[in-house]
Amino acid sequence: MVFNQIMSQVEIKGKNFLGFEISINSDDPKRTLAELESLLAVSSKYMKNSIITLKLDDFNKEYANKVINFLKDKDIYVNAIVVKNKNGLDADIPFIETNKTHLINEEGEKEVSTFKGNLRSGQSIKANGDLVVVGNVNSNSYIYATGNIFVLGKLYGVPHAGYGGNNEAIVFAFDLNPPQIRIGDYITRSPEKNVLLKKRIDVAPEVAFVDDGVIVIIGYNEWLKS
Amino acid sequence: MSGKVLTITSGKGGVGKSTTTANLALGLALAGKKAVAIDLDIGLRNLDMILGLENRIVYDVVNVVEKVCKVKQALIKDKRVDNLFLIAAAQTRDKSAVKSEQVLELANELRKEFDYIILDSPAGIEGGFRNAMLPADEVIIVTTPEISAVRDADRVIGILEAHEKKDMSLIINRINPTLVKKGDMMSKNDVLQVLSIPLIGVVPEDGNIVSYTNIGEPSILHQDSPSGKAYKNITQRVLGKDVPFMEIIERKKGIMETIISFFKEQ
Repeated sequence: MVFNQIMSQVEIKGKNFLGFEISINSDDPKRTLAELESLLAVSSKYMKNSIITLKLDDFNKEYANKVINFLKDKDIYVNAIVVKNKNGLDADIPFIETNKTHLINEEGEKEVSTFKGNLRSGQSIKANGDLVVVGNVNSNSYIYATGNIFVLGKLYGVPHAGYGGNNEAIVFAFDLNPPQIRIGDYITRSPEKNVLLKKRIDVAPEVAFVDDGVIVIIGYNEWLKS
Repeated sequence: MSGKVLTITSGKGGVGKSTTTANLALGLALAGKKAVAIDLDIGLRNLDMILGLENRIVYDVVNVVEKVCKVKQALIKDKRVDNLFLIAAAQTRDKSAVKSEQVLELANELRKEFDYIILDSPAGIEGGFRNAMLPADEVIIVTTPEISAVRDADRVIGILEAHEKKDMSLIINRINPTLVKKGDMMSKNDVLQVLSIPLIGVVPEDGNIVSYTNIGEPSILHQDSPSGKAYKNITQRVLGKDVPFMEIIERKKGIMETIISFFKEQ
């Protein structure tokens, strides 16, 4: 469900399956609460059983508790606070810091470390550290991680493990069949033929890594023994 | 050396722009010209697959215009012909990722190195189409003998005329002689009457195109393919040679085939 109301001080955004994000753009607590009151008159019934995040800026994080208690009175419980950095934030609710992101994402890209679902053609995700994909990575999609990549499903898109130069990274997949594999500074291309036309019989988990300057692929069991 | 920019467009989707681009680019390269094909269908790329080069893409056209890489790095060399190159489209972005001026700049840079620059335009008449049109010296419009495709081609020709692009020619793709004979399909002359621009080729319906596309080998590489033969003729005409149009006739059925099809219809 998408539910979106924009006013000058407070914004409530539907965050697809996650729930709602309340974002506060004002440094005046009185006006904020007044506006929140009027917004909730319409939307509070949708929000009672959803995950709520509260987005604050540097200039208004000192009155976080005021907003949280105000919402609590309305039976709306904030699950997490989103801030640029946690310094000066006085609240005992989990927080998410947005300045802790190192990769610059293209528009529409998500930054995750575990991803559940299928990645389709044209989609891409980036992760700091290791990336676990629980699902299939379809042909013509891209996944990047500064660490290792583990795909618990089919990997038919292009993986780039060790993004940024970590040549020690590995790529693991239940069905490893990408057109290219990129690890750190190395790149390799699969034999000719479109990946979708290859007959995949006796599929077994495989691991790709850099050995002596070349990317090699071996069976998972064999890799465990080595 | 100053190369020529050919843009392949159609208006309607699925009429064979990318197939034509692939065959024409290969044909020109086989004729000894230095050619580069650029896929401008950003977000829905296909030309790389039709040419069988999809596993080799590292940098794409968006990387080039955003100066992430040099033009030379994005040129993918064909695996069969030495003087054919491809610049692939990006799949993770959309048409708004490049601007017309950037495409023009890229085309002008490539003119210095190549004899022919072939731009594969996306379907539609929006931004992507305009990007492909701006640098064009010559526009080749692909249509099929379907009323919807002809109507869209007519619209495209109208837009191009309004922008004073005069060098236009027409390819009629997927003509089926059996249907034309029955009167269920527009004939070559019907289409020409509506669109009234010079004809540069007629390509017969070819059932093998799907498999050629899947294995990444354009039909021009297949000696026995009727569509491949038609594309060879089109290449010659693009090079300025006068080649007679091939007669597209219904293939006569043998006695056995007639009997079998008689029983199938029952």
